[in-house]
Amino acid sequence: MQATLIIVSYNGRELLAKSLPAALAAARRAGDHLVVLADDGSTDYSIHFAATTYPQVRVLAFPHRGFGATCNAAVAHAETEAVVLLNSDALVSPDFLPPLLEDLSRPNVFLVGPKFLNADGSLTDTLGNRTSCRWHRGLLSIHHETDPDLLRETAPQLYANGAAMAFRRDKWLSLGGFDPLYRPFYWEDVDLGYRAWGRGWRVLYEPASEVVHEQGSTVKRGHRAAYVELMSAKNAVLFTWKNFLDRGLLCRTLAAQVRWAADDVMIGGPLPRACALLAAFRQLGEATRARAGELRERTRSDQEIMAASGAER
Amino acid sequence: MSAGSGPMLLLSFARRGEEEAIRAAMDAVGAQCPGARWAAIGTPASAPVFRSLGLGEVLVSGDRVSPRQLLRMARAQRPQAAVIIYSGPGTSGHLKLELVALAVAAPKVYRFVPGEEARPLGRFCLLGPVAAKLVQAGARVAVGALVCMAALCWLSLKDMAKGGRHARRP
Repeated sequence: MQATLIIVSYNGRELLAKSLPAALAAARRAGDHLVVLADDGSTDYSIHFAATTYPQVRVLAFPHRGFGATCNAAVAHAETEAVVLLNSDALVSPDFLPPLLEDLSRPNVFLVGPKFLNADGSLTDTLGNRTSCRWHRGLLSIHHETDPDLLRETAPQLYANGAAMAFRRDKWLSLGGFDPLYRPFYWEDVDLGYRAWGRGWRVLYEPASEVVHEQGSTVKRGHRAAYVELMSAKNAVLFTWKNFLDRGLLCRTLAAQVRWAADDVMIGGPLPRACALLAAFRQLGEATRARAGELRERTRSDQEIMAASGAER
Repeated sequence: MSAGSGPMLLLSFARRGEEEAIRAAMDAVGAQCPGARWAAIGTPASAPVFRSLGLGEVLVSGDRVSPRQLLRMARAQRPQAAVIIYSGPGTSGHLKLELVALAVAAPKVYRFVPGEEARPLGRFCLLGPVAAKLVQAGARVAVGALVCMAALCWLSLKDMAKGGRHARRP
């Protein structure tokens, strides 16, 4: 199976100096795979750097429009059966590609996520490994497995972290890629995985493929921490409004969100959660339209999705 | 304050990384009240943190003990003081802990903010900030209820217009 490795970058010239050679080495080792730099309107001369230092890399220059939209545009340009999306701070191992492509050739597999490691090779606080749904005080939360014993085998997972994921391009296009509802960032990858499960496809975690990644480093470089937290909370709310088609589940989640709105007063934390709800409310119309699409396309109920992807209630 | 009566009641969410702040608060209060006995109210998640700090007496809410029973047990110990440890800068949030401090009827309350020195307050001095925070929390719940009710009504209407509330079966 042929693959295109797309590195999505915004003002990440320093990061590209490490991640581009790693991606090129992995692509070369696995065969004749293409490496593409999808630039999201950088102003740090990333494109010039990549074009002059690594002439074998194909460069796609887009105007600045955010991570999800740039990924969608770049995947639309790809021509291979498989696509691998990588953040500019994701350092892939030389043997990164073959296990992912092997998983993608299995029946009904749409999306595969590698094993994420810290720079020192540890798993402490890593995000994106064998992901699943959990429930905390009535609200959906995402569990990222960190137990080494549970990270040794290929397993189903809820979604693959957008920092490094491999997928079948035809299925991506049929899903419409990342939903722009989640702009500027976060939760678009969770949404993609959930929708894939909802269509009866599978999402896998593949430990034989390894990536070193510092979670959030690209986002945190360009934005204030409070803004990042607000956007993440807003998108968590929008995710439930869009995707929970089961009436009972939606009602329980909304009731928990009412209580959650006062959590910054009750238990502390800098995020004014009521603001996150209001920010989500501004996008209610958009979420409703996206939900209508889900109503048309779903072949699995919410409970079936959570059970299949390894959720614990 | 004599060290012979009830314990000092530690109130903290005891999140990961807060052990040092809790230890500092215990040392500071311990310096003012030598020989003070310590107890804490916790959850199954925070109890191990308290125990790792050497607190033998941790009242834990859970399946068997309701919050109301827990408060009754804490009040029965007649705590000398409630010691509230705030997680971040300032005393915003943490209404839950402040309500517990009022509910256990400790005559004094210490409020520890990281990097600031704590002085004991009379219990009734806590009433003002608590009332203000209750208003804030009420306003947020009202906003949340309005937003979520509107979202539920809108989404339900649109679901029905699209011909169903359940996932299409294969």
